[in-house]
Amino acid sequence: MTQNVHGTFISEKTNKIRWRPDPFGYSNSFITGSWDNDQNNIKLWNFEENEDDPDIYPFVIKNYPFEGDVTEAKFANPDYFVASSSLGSLYCLKVSSEITGETIITEERSWNKLHRSKNGDASSCTSFGMYESDIVTVGEDGNINLLTAQRKDIVRTIDEADSCSLNCVIFLKFNEILTGNLRGQMKIWDLRSNENKPTTTFMLSGDQIAATSLTFHPTQRHMIVAGDEEGSLTVWDLRQNIFPVNLLSAHSDSVSEIHFHPDHPDQLFSCSSSGELWHWITNRSGTLLNIENVETNPWFSTDSIKNKFEVFMLMPKLHKPINSLDLNRNRVLCSCDNEAIYLINNVNVYN
Amino acid sequence: MEPSLKTFTIPDELCRRAGIAATWLPINELGVFAYQHVKAHSPDQPSAYGPADASVFKVRQQVILFEPILRKLVNEANGTFLSVQELMSTNSPEFKTELLKLSRQYRSIIRACLENLQDEVMRERGERKEELQNYITIFYSVECVWHLCEILFVDNIPGNVVLPHLLEWVRFHFPKYERKAAKLLAGDLVGLESQPDYWETVIGLLMQGRIEVVRALLRLHSAADSKPFKLVDQTLKAMPIYSIYSGISATEFNLKWKHWLVDTQSKIDAKLFISERHLHLMMRLSVGEETAWNEVQNHCEAWYELLAAWLFYTEPTIKSFELGQYARRCISRMGIALHMRHLDQVLLAAMESDIIQVIKEIQHMSENGWFASHLTDLLYHSGRLDFLDTSEADDLVASRLRECFLLDYGTLLMGHNSLWQVGLSYLDHCPTDGINTIELLITRLPLGSEARAQKIIREAQKRDLPHIVQSICKILGMNSLKRGRIGNALTWALKSRDSGFASVLADKFLREYSTNGKLQCTDLLDNLGSSMLVSDRLVFLGKYFELHKVYQGKNYKEAANLIVSLLASKLTPKYFWSTLLSDALPLLECNELVMSSNDTFTLLHCLEEKCNLPEIQDKIELIRLAAARNLARALTHEAQLN
Repeated sequence: MTQNVHGTFISEKTNKIRWRPDPFGYSNSFITGSWDNDQNNIKLWNFEENEDDPDIYPFVIKNYPFEGDVTEAKFANPDYFVASSSLGSLYCLKVSSEITGETIITEERSWNKLHRSKNGDASSCTSFGMYESDIVTVGEDGNINLLTAQRKDIVRTIDEADSCSLNCVIFLKFNEILTGNLRGQMKIWDLRSNENKPTTTFMLSGDQIAATSLTFHPTQRHMIVAGDEEGSLTVWDLRQNIFPVNLLSAHSDSVSEIHFHPDHPDQLFSCSSSGELWHWITNRSGTLLNIENVETNPWFSTDSIKNKFEVFMLMPKLHKPINSLDLNRNRVLCSCDNEAIYLINNVNVYN
Repeated sequence: MEPSLKTFTIPDELCRRAGIAATWLPINELGVFAYQHVKAHSPDQPSAYGPADASVFKVRQQVILFEPILRKLVNEANGTFLSVQELMSTNSPEFKTELLKLSRQYRSIIRACLENLQDEVMRERGERKEELQNYITIFYSVECVWHLCEILFVDNIPGNVVLPHLLEWVRFHFPKYERKAAKLLAGDLVGLESQPDYWETVIGLLMQGRIEVVRALLRLHSAADSKPFKLVDQTLKAMPIYSIYSGISATEFNLKWKHWLVDTQSKIDAKLFISERHLHLMMRLSVGEETAWNEVQNHCEAWYELLAAWLFYTEPTIKSFELGQYARRCISRMGIALHMRHLDQVLLAAMESDIIQVIKEIQHMSENGWFASHLTDLLYHSGRLDFLDTSEADDLVASRLRECFLLDYGTLLMGHNSLWQVGLSYLDHCPTDGINTIELLITRLPLGSEARAQKIIREAQKRDLPHIVQSICKILGMNSLKRGRIGNALTWALKSRDSGFASVLADKFLREYSTNGKLQCTDLLDNLGSSMLVSDRLVFLGKYFELHKVYQGKNYKEAANLIVSLLASKLTPKYFWSTLLSDALPLLECNELVMSSNDTFTLLHCLEEKCNLPEIQDKIELIRLAAARNLARALTHEAQLN
């Protein structure tokens, strides 16, 4: 089977696109969250693969009007997902089927104006991280909120955690989070500590470059990759120290999202405002039995990093920013500001 | 073109009484409000209209391209447009064939859009249905004109023999005969001629040049074995059809064709077909007999349908530049010269190779300039507008004409909340005024969240507009300041290297500190790095923060060095002297000697210089005393060392 790209124009710019996980097989369903539209929407899509017709036509099953831009969306499990808005709110939404067979999206729980500025202006909730049912949100107001999906009240707020807008957040452990701000300052927070101070602070680079996305290695969680607004990827091994192990200049414009493949941790996908969608494959030239090689993670090797990866462009460069991407087995979804979404089939993840 | 006026009434009592004025809102909207003009010599008296509720009415042009269903067209066509520009910038020698491909791509986008519209029409009813049908009519005409222009102006047809393409075009736009034929052939084949539209279909297909299908249908006639039928079949089979791939030249073809004409005419004259009325008509049509064509021309829905058919049987090797006269003849033949539809006029202009007229006409297609800008761009790149540059009569220049459309279209899109990025990519390809227009429009985009603002900033950066970047960053900074986020404001100032703004903000930090003794945003000040160099005031703030840090770390020696360098730096703001000098006190009085005699002299020097400042009057004695004591200690100590 060859890799092929299916594009669909959907009449709205999509900020986030996420597969709806299917625990039993290939998922045929995903959600999109729009931005910059007069009326933004979260849409649940479905598509059918047909052996006779190589083309794929996704269709909307359910449209859920959404207030503000969708800034982030994540599925907790196949039936629940969480979405944040540029107006500072967070929603926990449920996908379910009516008796009539119609699929509906209902609001399970919401935190209205979770982030807001002191003068009452809306403040975007820029990102959130999830660890089981714990949710941590960050926003333009510099606050960090800790929530749990089961309860309406906010577990903890770190007020003015950062004097700049926070751009991204991930859970490092159940009790530890990492945030990145507009100036590229990275901070690790221990959620158990009572102090409203980070345990560690370090810089992405010396040049005030904002971190735009964060991710960790699926099997080695101490390995962190951050994408910045200039298009570089920075790799840290948080076991050792706070200095980056590697700095890769990758895209020509801001990195929108980076994802390791959950089942194939040696592969990374990144997309960028320059309209590029890249697939990074680590090069395993040595045999697996070579004991010396087994331990090294290519992302950590400092010498001649160039030979350790092969980078593939999954599709020709688009003319507008690619905002989001998501993986499901050997299929990649991505969404672009040209008001189109793309599904790429048969991506070579198995080597 | 006579000027057309449209009047809109503002439904407001106050506006009616007082009169109105209007002002542009960015970018596509007009704000209309009640207005009374007051001049310098107007009498000063209470307004006759107050008190009243005043309203502002936003008036905007309806842009059909902003319909969700048509936004697909806008976005997809943008991709093709950018491919055209990319192609032209590569100087590929094959660009003509590539342009043709891209032209077809445009048309397939229109067709996809038409298909979508048709699906939607099925689902809707009432007013909305009518609206959608309207769109279908518009884009159907667009496709029709585009297709013809592609044949005449973009495609490079060998020998300029356009007729096969014209027939294809007509077949595409009048597909009913082919559909009927397909239906007839798919149904019951026995006694096909008893179907009511059998002969109509056969003749219709004959006129569209589908000889093979005509023969297939005739063979299914129950009398197919009779003599006239067989003869017709043979004649049609023998009819030479011009094709560039047939390997014969146009002259050679004409010879063969003339021969066939004479042959067929003699058969007609021998009354070989007279027994079958329809066959007789068909044969007379195929030799171009005027009376026969008069009989059928009323079956044609449009003059160009007749034109293609007529040319096929009378002038099969017609060149594209001869089309105009035949088109006119066809129109007068059908007697519709006085009631030509708009589409007819555009097509006629195209056939007369009057590109300027075509471009003029297509601006009235009410699809908001999508068509005119894309087609003009394509024609420009295929070199069809070059004649404008050489003709001296007009001051019309090809590149300016193209740019003018792109500017309009790009500006229109910039006015849409979501399509502004698409708009920018059109303005990018306006060599003369594009960048200036972008400069004006990009600052008028609503900023929204920081994420959106970042995207706008990056677009400005890409186009090398540092002053725009700076002004947007400043707006973001001011917004942050209003929200009490001075740290974030400073970040924006640093991002745009706005030294003035950074100084103002640094001042705010210092003033705040000198009034309540608290330094804000320490996490930020701690990490300023080299970025602090944009402004002296910020350097001072950064160094002063460092002093605090060092002092709190009980590293007094280092703190003393810092404070002395601050004192000597001449960066200290006037209002901050008192604070800075007071900060020196504990260092002077420190148990261990941290300030050398030279340091102390520097301090004393500053003190004497600033002793007139009112806010340090109460401290001046104290500092002098401390300085004197420290100086004594230092001198003794230094003397010992020597």
